[in-house]
Amino acid sequence: MLNIIACFKWVVDEADVKIDAKSRALLMERVGYKISDYDRNAIEEAVRLQEQHGGNVVAATVGPSTAKQCLKDALSRGPERADFINDPSFVDLEPEQTAAILATAIKAKEEYDLIICGEGSSDLYAQQVGPALAERLGIPCATCVNKLTLAESKKEIIAERKLDDGMEVVSMPLPALVTVLPDINTPRIPTLKQVLGAAKKPVDNITLNDLGQTYKPCLQTTGILAATMERRRLKFGADEKNILVIIGALLKEGVIA
Amino acid sequence: MNFNLTEEQELVRAGVREFCQKYVEPLAEKVDEEAYFPMETVKKLTEQEWTGIPYPAEYGGAGADYLTYIIVVEELSRACATTGFTLECHTSLASYPLYKFGTEEQKQKYLVPLCKGEMLGSFALTEPGAGTDAGAASTTAVLDGDEYVLNGSKMFISNSPVAGVFIIIAMTDKSKGTKGLSAFIVPGGTPGLKVGEHLNKMGIRGSVTAEVVMKDCRIPKENLLGNEGQGFKIAMMTLDGGRIGIAAQALGIAQAALDESIQYSKERVQFGKPISSFQAIQWMIANMATDVQAARFLTYHAAWCYDQGLPYSKEAAMAKLFASETAARQTNRAIQIHGGIGFIKGHKVERLYRDAKITEIYEGTSEVMRMVISGNLLR
Amino acid sequence: MAGIWIFAENREQTLELLNAGRNLAQDFKAKVVTFALNVHLAEEYINHGSDEVLLLPLLGQDQSLESYVPVIAEVARQEDPDVFFIGGTQRGREIAARVAARLNTGLCGGCTGYKVDQKNKLLLMNRMILGGAAVQTVVCTTRPQMAVIPPRTFEQAPLMEGRQGKVIELPAAQPSAVKVINRTPKVQESVDLTEAKIIVSVGRGMEKKEDLSLALELAGVLGGEVGCSRPVAEELHWLPEERYMGISGKKVKPDLYIGLGVSGQIQHITGIRDSKIIFGINRDENAPIFEAADYGIVGDLYEVVPKLIKELKVLLKK
Repeated sequence: MLNIIACFKWVVDEADVKIDAKSRALLMERVGYKISDYDRNAIEEAVRLQEQHGGNVVAATVGPSTAKQCLKDALSRGPERADFINDPSFVDLEPEQTAAILATAIKAKEEYDLIICGEGSSDLYAQQVGPALAERLGIPCATCVNKLTLAESKKEIIAERKLDDGMEVVSMPLPALVTVLPDINTPRIPTLKQVLGAAKKPVDNITLNDLGQTYKPCLQTTGILAATMERRRLKFGADEKNILVIIGALLKEGVIA
Repeated sequence: MNFNLTEEQELVRAGVREFCQKYVEPLAEKVDEEAYFPMETVKKLTEQEWTGIPYPAEYGGAGADYLTYIIVVEELSRACATTGFTLECHTSLASYPLYKFGTEEQKQKYLVPLCKGEMLGSFALTEPGAGTDAGAASTTAVLDGDEYVLNGSKMFISNSPVAGVFIIIAMTDKSKGTKGLSAFIVPGGTPGLKVGEHLNKMGIRGSVTAEVVMKDCRIPKENLLGNEGQGFKIAMMTLDGGRIGIAAQALGIAQAALDESIQYSKERVQFGKPISSFQAIQWMIANMATDVQAARFLTYHAAWCYDQGLPYSKEAAMAKLFASETAARQTNRAIQIHGGIGFIKGHKVERLYRDAKITEIYEGTSEVMRMVISGNLLR
Repeated sequence: MAGIWIFAENREQTLELLNAGRNLAQDFKAKVVTFALNVHLAEEYINHGSDEVLLLPLLGQDQSLESYVPVIAEVARQEDPDVFFIGGTQRGREIAARVAARLNTGLCGGCTGYKVDQKNKLLLMNRMILGGAAVQTVVCTTRPQMAVIPPRTFEQAPLMEGRQGKVIELPAAQPSAVKVINRTPKVQESVDLTEAKIIVSVGRGMEKKEDLSLALELAGVLGGEVGCSRPVAEELHWLPEERYMGISGKKVKPDLYIGLGVSGQIQHITGIRDSKIIFGINRDENAPIFEAADYGIVGDLYEVVPKLIKELKVLLKK
């Protein structure tokens, strides 16, 4: 029996963001939203573990009250219920705020063995919420996990981490937190009955008032500009000197090593 | 007026898109080039519970609305018209008459496995000598004791080589014309039932289409669907619903043509600029998009009428007429925008152009659609 | 102690951050403090510009690098640095997030650069958002101002003559709940083209099949895969069909795409347009590949590629 919390974020579908070429402003009028890509792996992994070992899965998210749409999407993927921690002010939260809000809500109302987060969100990709949440809850964590197994004792989780320099297998006593990579599993597409059944699953609506505190960001945004995607179109001759210049540039870009 | 889809409908659409990206698009070229029937995709449709979308759970269906089903056919067809049509034929043509006219026993025996995707269904009305003129059917069914004996042949029967059950329309009383037609449930593999060669078609090439020949094909008396003489009504009502499905298929094809055209026109550079910066192309894109949107509204509205229990025969005919002609016109335009490359085999718009044509023909030609519409208006 | 603090799990990145740290130290009139894993590195960091070094204790066999989090956070809490840069490896990002949480401060993940507000001692830090579609600028209103900086964002700090600095030994890391039970160093293996980080692509400019060895060798040196344009697979059958990229073939998004004799038809470009960097080599100065590329060499691939391989072998020490 495992009680698992799968955290997910409702994000702008980056494919829908258009750019005003002159001002480099982002045009967001017609954007759609989705469950952040790797968070789908987090939910899938939670459901997979639950199928193997029993227990239950709660999908937890933090967002503006308007993000209600995310709940059926998440619940259609298998969790029994959802924690919808919302407030109109929960827009463009910094990861440290999200982690703090999740920590308050989880401490107040959830009993859990394992928390699963995606490795990073599709919009910010700051990769902070998972480890920061573990710190705030005072539980061990492992990031970059691409395989999860429950130890025979059922008291520890074995996580295989895929890192820059190789694989590292760690064991952690439960409760613990992991962040998962997209290759840990292939999220299943919800079946039609799962989609239709999502509306019947319970959702706990948790408001800022319920949390009983405020969450100030430590980072403040001073500007957002579209990245210029133009190619550089730099043409060189064929001698050694030019080749060295290009190799230098590629090294600097970090695309070769 | 409410133009918003429900959250469930949006989720299903997103699911089908992902499904197509993963399983349907990668096979689409092979399906077309090799006239390959994608059985592996059909199995996956079953896993997604998309094989009995609008039918109640007690018959193995998902109990969703018709519009949800229409969205699934649209999105599948956008990736591969063969796949979209295979599901349409199964759901609208084979399952619907069982759902609407079947006895409880018939439903349990045949509709349940169809909805669960345990077998595919096929519907046989057309004959070599009886297309639009269904009353000219020469296939006969004669009661002999406890059995009906079927003789004759049916032409262009979709899904027939892979079907586990057929709904076959045959003449029980020639003297009564269309009122002498009856509908029968014929399980695949019944002795005397023969399915011919897979016909080599211009479009939807992977969809398996063949001649179905019955020679002293005996079925139990209880396999009569509805009453004797109800065959024409059953066929017409079945086709009314099917037409919304074909409209959805045409809509998916037209949308795909628009998608390809937008993408290509932004990439293709001539005279130092992407061709999308030329007004000739801009106008084509604008016209295409407007037509596609109009076709979508007609199609969704017809499905909505179905879901509301309102009459939908005229609406279905309008949707099919407009969506299929839109598909034919817009796939033609898409090739024009692509120029030479669009004329080359292996390019998606070339396939779309061929796939579009049949939507103006089957489940009632455009001419029949105009008859249905005007008949509704002028009576 | 305050100052500009630096932690990275390896020498190269520490030196890169030291370079940034040195410049910032001048702007902020602060000192540079670097974490080191051993005394040799401690000495080297001082020689490359660190004013002080915090020497991290040895870890037990079953401890991962992340076990340093309590040690790092504790010393930072006591000493109150102005700025804390952490090298953006995977472990570095986890350590940064956890240290920031412990210190209740802001962290700019994936900081690709910054401007300095000297007067207010603030960093205006840039990070990519929405999958690279936009750049967001943030300032951190708490201390330390933390940033995770990806590898190779800065050049390494040069060796400086006659430098001296203090080395302070940090207390041992407490046993951690996370126990390492196995480690496997990375092995190089052939991967699916769509997952390759580097793709060497062969076009019609290659004259015969045997010459594919050039592309294979270049890919080998770079740790990449070999792909091609459609005709090379479909017409010439030099490579299997799953190796061709384009509108009807594979759509790839490597960090680096190198086209050898690829002319750059739109149908091919469509398959590679999501590459981070496109580098084309072609004899024809008007080949469309140069319009779609970041870097281009106008020249004969048979002359350019061997030189390129030779230089890369030297520079990448392979």
